[in-house]
Amino acid sequence: MATEHVPSLKTQKYDRQLRLWAATGQTALENAKICLLNATSTGCEILKNLVLPGIGSVTVVDHTIVNETDIRTNFFLEPSNIGMSKAKATATLLKELNEDASVSFENKSASDLIHTQPEFFDVFSMVIATNLMEQDILALGDICHRTEKTLITVQSKGLAGLFRIQSPEHTIVETHPENMLDLRLGCPFQELEDYVDTIELDALDQTDHGHIPFIVVLLKYIHAWKQEHDGQMPSTYSERNEFKKLVKSGMRTPDEENFEEAVANVWRLSSTTTVEPSVRKILDDPEAQKLNSNSDSFWIITRAVKDFVDNEGAGQLPLAGKLPDMKSDTTNYIDLQNVYRKKALADLDSVKERVKSLLQEYNIPLDNIPESVIEVYCKNAATIKVIRYRTLREEYVSSPCTNSIVNWLKSDENIIFYILFRAAEKFANKHKRYPGAAGGSNEEEVGLLTEQAVELLKDLGVTDAPSSLLQSDFIKKCIKNYVRFSDQEMANMAALMGGLVSQEAIKLITRQYVPINNTCVFNGIASTSNVYNL
Amino acid sequence: MTDYANVGTTTPSSGRMLSDMEDVHEDHEQPHPIEEEQEEPEEEEGVMLALDSPQIQAALEACKILVIGAGGLGCEILKNLALTGFKEIHVIDMDTIDLSNLNRQFLFRPKDVGQPKATVAAEFVMQRVPGVKIVPYFGKIQDKDDEYYSQFQIVICGLDSIEARRWINAKLVEMIDEEDPQSLKPLIDGGTEGFKGQARVILPTINSCYECSLDMFNKPTTFPICTIANTPRLPEHCIEWASVLEWPRVWGKDTKYDTDNPEHISWLYRTATERAEKFNISGVTYSLTQGVVKNIIPAIASTNAIIAASCCNEVFKIATGSPYLDNYMMYTGNDGIYTYTFQHQKKPECPVCGQIAASAELDREMSLEDLIESLKERPDVQLKRPSLRTASKSLYMQAPPALEEATRPNLEKKLEDLIEAGEYITVTDVALPVSIQLKVSWKE
Repeated sequence: MATEHVPSLKTQKYDRQLRLWAATGQTALENAKICLLNATSTGCEILKNLVLPGIGSVTVVDHTIVNETDIRTNFFLEPSNIGMSKAKATATLLKELNEDASVSFENKSASDLIHTQPEFFDVFSMVIATNLMEQDILALGDICHRTEKTLITVQSKGLAGLFRIQSPEHTIVETHPENMLDLRLGCPFQELEDYVDTIELDALDQTDHGHIPFIVVLLKYIHAWKQEHDGQMPSTYSERNEFKKLVKSGMRTPDEENFEEAVANVWRLSSTTTVEPSVRKILDDPEAQKLNSNSDSFWIITRAVKDFVDNEGAGQLPLAGKLPDMKSDTTNYIDLQNVYRKKALADLDSVKERVKSLLQEYNIPLDNIPESVIEVYCKNAATIKVIRYRTLREEYVSSPCTNSIVNWLKSDENIIFYILFRAAEKFANKHKRYPGAAGGSNEEEVGLLTEQAVELLKDLGVTDAPSSLLQSDFIKKCIKNYVRFSDQEMANMAALMGGLVSQEAIKLITRQYVPINNTCVFNGIASTSNVYNL
Repeated sequence: MTDYANVGTTTPSSGRMLSDMEDVHEDHEQPHPIEEEQEEPEEEEGVMLALDSPQIQAALEACKILVIGAGGLGCEILKNLALTGFKEIHVIDMDTIDLSNLNRQFLFRPKDVGQPKATVAAEFVMQRVPGVKIVPYFGKIQDKDDEYYSQFQIVICGLDSIEARRWINAKLVEMIDEEDPQSLKPLIDGGTEGFKGQARVILPTINSCYECSLDMFNKPTTFPICTIANTPRLPEHCIEWASVLEWPRVWGKDTKYDTDNPEHISWLYRTATERAEKFNISGVTYSLTQGVVKNIIPAIASTNAIIAASCCNEVFKIATGSPYLDNYMMYTGNDGIYTYTFQHQKKPECPVCGQIAASAELDREMSLEDLIESLKERPDVQLKRPSLRTASKSLYMQAPPALEEATRPNLEKKLEDLIEAGEYITVTDVALPVSIQLKVSWKE
């Protein structure tokens, strides 16, 4: 037997992930350049999950020397590394995970680079920073905001972890929703109506009658209903029930699956528009209205689609064109599928023409937006997303979410870990060490950390008895546990945070699936998580 | 630039994972650590000792762990347990290493392809983390006996099959001896698919076991045979035709295709393509062919890291007497990050861990054969080749051949001619090391 179709070795290696993000996603990963600040266990775990799937390149930045404690929780350090540069040692062991990824290191202090050599970050598309101090976080946030890079900051101590994404405007076409069907049952297009007209249900023999796709069945009965109801669709609950009975009455035998499918899909008739409010908002976004020669492809296509919707699309998005499987014989299914495909192609052509005109209008080379990109957009138009991230500076300084934080504190949410991680930063500023670094349980440490937590709340603008917000048993226990973990990472949490952060990084890089906005806390004691927009 | 163009994406969850959680929506609050059942070595409830305290270290060193599976989850689990401080770990896996494992099973390198996973994984971790002893076994979990399993304090699974999970779950339940507290082995179970996963803590006979939740899992997608044979519509139908109908016709019923053999996959791909062309169906690709025939589940390092770490967290908490997950955490990461932690209820009539027999309301006119078919179909039972008997006689036994022949005539008989209401039917099956009791009553 011949094997000319067998995929390349690289495709075979990446097979399981290509089924999630395909060639386009993989190419984006292979073009990414990541910088890791601080080769902590968590940081190395994050990189492991990026190197394995074939990230383009990573650079490990750390100025410290490997010691005894380091090797106990970091899989990417060995006893023989003690006394070596941590950046070099971890980079070496990360590199051998996957020869496709380029892994380098810089034996430098992250803090120094941030404050004295910001141009160091120019080459990277994403910076991931673990266990940075507050002033470093803010400065780095400013650099990344200014240079339009994505930044993910991560804290992981003991059984708790937190990470925060700051990114330039993030547009996503391929969100991969669980169920996306664009059948237009409630708003059939002309070509679909015309096709349905060519079929005479009553004239069909027994076998054929049971093999007509449910879409045709439903539209036939809608015609019949409209004739008896002044051209109106069934609109109330009781009308829809009556309509279901009408459809059922057309069954010639009790086991006609296509008719059962028809009844099960009656609810889709109520959907008369494909443009959900969230999508309408994107179409109407100022970025799509005020185009210029520097506009992102996403906004140019969005504008083209908006104009399509408002004109020849008659209020509908371009047809996605895909049919789910349904009870039918082959010919009827393929014929119906072709009706949808043809219309989808016609809509796509229309959008392509509009994109072309816009590119010409703004003097942008036509090559900038390949046809395949427009095609993917049209197939996913109903579920596109735009995420706009607040900056760290807005969160920490100019407009903290004080009211939300106060409310969360009262309902015992995991927000306490956010407070604690930030309070620990202030603690380090004041006492020149981290809480509990003296070792083990310590009443005094708990008091000092609580003090910093109160200070933080005051910084956030809480004027009304801030210390009273930290009085619940749950919160007091969290503070005690935090102190007991002292400054240690725990291997499990490093691995868990490594998984979460790398997953988000991959979503951001591939522009597929939906990343969080913007902070995630994982509580390893209760095995719960929360996402906050701070 | 490598051409990945031919590998298609699949939407996750085509029926192998969890069904909608609507029907098991237990009333739950954000769980605070459970306090009642735990022995607290700390001064205060719910507050933990420092991680490197001598007490914690001693607790970890005294704890022998069994890891089942050395694949995507297993590699992560071995790394985490070794770094956490456990000193003796055993690992079982019956597979050898494949090229497609290397994107996430990070203890393996290209040179290891073809080697047993358990052995290579054990060696790698022992070399990287000094002081830990990892004992591999290259074989099936069914090869080992009660004596083997009783040496462990905790069992943690990173399996990819429902059958294997059911087996170990039933084994640990069966080993419970009420006189001996040591016979209780907590089972931590993790599973992943694409961006989704779950981690759960099973205390055999105390809380919900794997069998208690069997009906939560959808059976894998199967296509009706008439669609495959007569009215294909999708490229998947053409591939099923090639593998299920055409292959045996061309190569004979006794020659099975090997899903790891590229020549076989190529043949199936070409055959499926020809059929698709005949019916004007587009979309058959090599990648899709592989996916359908091997039942491929997409998998990435990050999800495995999250779920494995969650499971290891629970192992750590149980080993050190801290409050742990009660008892199920579901995770999805394709749209944001979402975890749902809840307490799955134990079923009193669970065939494996339940105290009372499941009741079966049967149609007295039904044939024994039909009853056996329905047992195979039932989502909460899911048997493969069940044998049935009552206290007084064998109804139908799959083996040995002489007994099968002797009881075969019973298949056609009506139930009411074979059993009485109130009698118990005992069902045994290859899928389970325990038997199921069904109390018979007639449908009115």
